Amino acid sequence: MSLLTVENLRVTFDTETGPVQAVRGVSFSLGRERLGIVGESGSGKTMTGRSVLRLIRPPGRIEADRMEFDGQDLMRIPETGMRALRGRRIAMVMQDPKFSLNPVMRVGEQLTEGLRRRDRLGRAEAVRKALAALEAVQIRDPERVMQAYPHELSGGMGQRVMIAMMLIPEPDLLIADEPTSALDVTVQAEVLQILDTLVRDRGMGLIFVSHDLRLVARFCDRVLVMYRGRIVEELPARELMAARHPYTRGLLNCLPRIGGARGPLPVLDRSGDWADD
Amino acid sequence: MTDRPAIEIDRLDVTFAAKGRAVRAVQGVSLAVARRESFGLVGESGSGKSTILRAICGLAPVSGGAIRLGGDPLPARRGKDFSTRVQMVFQDPYASLHPRHTIDRTLSEPLAIHGIGDTDARVVRALQDVGLPAAFRFRYPHQLSGGQRQRVAIARALMLNPQILLLDEPTSALDASVQAEVLNLLTRLREERGLTFLMVSHDLAVIDHMCDRILVMQHGRAVEEIAHADLAAGRMQTDYARSLFAASADRMLS
Amino acid sequence: MTALTDWLTDPDPKSRAQARLGQAWLSWLRLRRNPLAMTGLVIVVALLVLAAFAPVFATHDPIAQNLGQRLLPPGTPGHWLGTDDFGRDIWSRIVHGARITLYIVALVALTAPVLGLVIGTVAGYAGGWVDTVLMRITDIFMAFPRLILALALVAVLGPGIFNAVLAIALTAWPPYARVARAETLTVRSSDYIAAVRLQGAGAARIVWGHVMPMCLPSVIIRVTLDMAGVILIAAGLGFLGLGAQPPLPEWGLMISSGRKFLFDQWWVATMPGLAIFIVSLGFNLLGDGLRDVLDPRSAGR
Repeated sequence: MSLLTVENLRVTFDTETGPVQAVRGVSFSLGRERLGIVGESGSGKTMTGRSVLRLIRPPGRIEADRMEFDGQDLMRIPETGMRALRGRRIAMVMQDPKFSLNPVMRVGEQLTEGLRRRDRLGRAEAVRKALAALEAVQIRDPERVMQAYPHELSGGMGQRVMIAMMLIPEPDLLIADEPTSALDVTVQAEVLQILDTLVRDRGMGLIFVSHDLRLVARFCDRVLVMYRGRIVEELPARELMAARHPYTRGLLNCLPRIGGARGPLPVLDRSGDWADD
Repeated sequence: MTDRPAIEIDRLDVTFAAKGRAVRAVQGVSLAVARRESFGLVGESGSGKSTILRAICGLAPVSGGAIRLGGDPLPARRGKDFSTRVQMVFQDPYASLHPRHTIDRTLSEPLAIHGIGDTDARVVRALQDVGLPAAFRFRYPHQLSGGQRQRVAIARALMLNPQILLLDEPTSALDASVQAEVLNLLTRLREERGLTFLMVSHDLAVIDHMCDRILVMQHGRAVEEIAHADLAAGRMQTDYARSLFAASADRMLS
Repeated sequence: MTALTDWLTDPDPKSRAQARLGQAWLSWLRLRRNPLAMTGLVIVVALLVLAAFAPVFATHDPIAQNLGQRLLPPGTPGHWLGTDDFGRDIWSRIVHGARITLYIVALVALTAPVLGLVIGTVAGYAGGWVDTVLMRITDIFMAFPRLILALALVAVLGPGIFNAVLAIALTAWPPYARVARAETLTVRSSDYIAAVRLQGAGAARIVWGHVMPMCLPSVIIRVTLDMAGVILIAAGLGFLGLGAQPPLPEWGLMISSGRKFLFDQWWVATMPGLAIFIVSLGFNLLGDGLRDVLDPRSAGR
């Protein structure tokens, strides 16, 4: 049974110069698997991820023929119902932990706040759970991290704290928007490993939004390739490197490779039918 | 004169004062870049690679060592003379163009500073050189895409015809397809104008594509210098360079 | 009309002027979507029109006395807002008073923000001892309550509109210096300032051409939001007899003279009070709307 079904999702922004469509008719369904959404900036991949949580601010509008999460119609439940879903059943990890953690609160307070307020846990119990969550993301000295302010953490550490925070309520679906783009390559691998283990062990669904085809090919089960608000290709991640669609092929070819030829890199040809509106 | 390296850095130290604590961002790094060479600096964040570029430009506090251009030591205040020899392209094209200046203003500013006339023709030609239509001249930065902005930033850096271009992660904020276009543009400009590049990147594949020699940095120190041929063949001496190389395994030519 | 809007929204302007006007047009479109800001704009424009054509709108001479018709209530034929204790038409006095209010507002808006902007940007960009000296001077001016400092200045310089303006301007600049300095501190470490420094630009060029345009929006917003306060201080000085002098129809002065009849002839003080209230509200609403339009952080979108 699928966890999330999206049919004909459209996101429109009403600007001074007329409406701009950021997402134009995206349909997909997701089970308890790792779904990658790749595309360049402006392809609508981030907007697609945010639409699932209805996190598009005016002047943006979300429309869809169907958007169902675990039997609930996401287009119809009121805002209060959405708030109960966000965080608890559907969680989101953003690109830069610097902007997602409250800079004037200690990490420990931020981790336990939800537990104490939402789940009405006692202080000791909340701290115990928070420590367990930090251990789950392989933070070696969780007591010290609990006492730290966000700016005292490195990028990789901050992103792990974010993931721990999102996982405490044990959501069914995690939306990760470029969770490793701000991190160094060596740290990137560790964070992905952690995400992978968590998704596998807890049987979560994961939407992994990224611009990095190579990363998505390695990490996901299935991939949607987006271009200008549309899905141009959907294929198993294993076959991404052998993609057929000219856009996906173009994206793969224009990457420089270690040991590659020194001549000009092939550039993406945007003149095909797929590039038209 | 011609055998003198274009850029020579000798045991450079850069120390920032942060909250009363001295942070040594660069410690005893030496390197030499020959004329018309393309030299790469690689490392993870906090390795001090960008700080070296900023130190050359006088934008970072140098606490020891020397920097020489073509054999001449740099004056403490980088003056107008320096700006005609060295220019820089910054990482984030969204932050490096003045948001309230048109492209025209951004490109003509260096001409105005140096009292160079013939502004209109030079600005139009500069736009053509970086592959932008002349119609973009009176646009504002927010009306351009990331790749177009970076082209403008490159055009601005070349307005004064410098011989040396410092490139601080010039494509890391760009999409893959745009990165290819910008890298091709940089390569073409280097060939046409005989430029010397000192380029910083965290992406080994980009550095491998662009540079003749690279210096691997970690925690403000130079770890290892690698020639282009050795990088592709995976011939490194130090463990750190090898681990960086291993982490970039998916960027290898398969 | 469509030809003009096409020209304004042309993505590829042919000249600097067209580019600038196109941006202004987009800002106007953004402002137009905010009904409260438009209300504010209508009020401010109404004030401008009223002041420009005061003799046309006024039904009587604002200082002509007619003791036979003193203290008539609002709604009296010929005096729809009533008359004051000298029998002068309150509507005509308010209309002519708009000129004085506008004169004060314009003079303050032209002097204090400019002074504050220059001091703030220079302090912020130069840093070091220049910053310390300039900002301590700012602190000293800020340490006095504004009305008290204005009072002291007027007491020394003598009462009158011009001296009131001078006093207000001298007490109003420190907040602008603060705003401009804060903005400068974030701007000066940006890459585009580093780039222009690398091109060999001197400090004066950087501050004037590159830093100030970034500080201007916040200062303009602050000015419109402060205008209400300026009008109130001017009225306060008038009320205390230290600003405009009788028989000038200055709004604060009118309230002051109506104070004596507040309980029996409430309209004498209330009508100019309402005028001050409406105009202050107008400037505040406009300032709030401008914040959304001019904020540099929203310009990128």
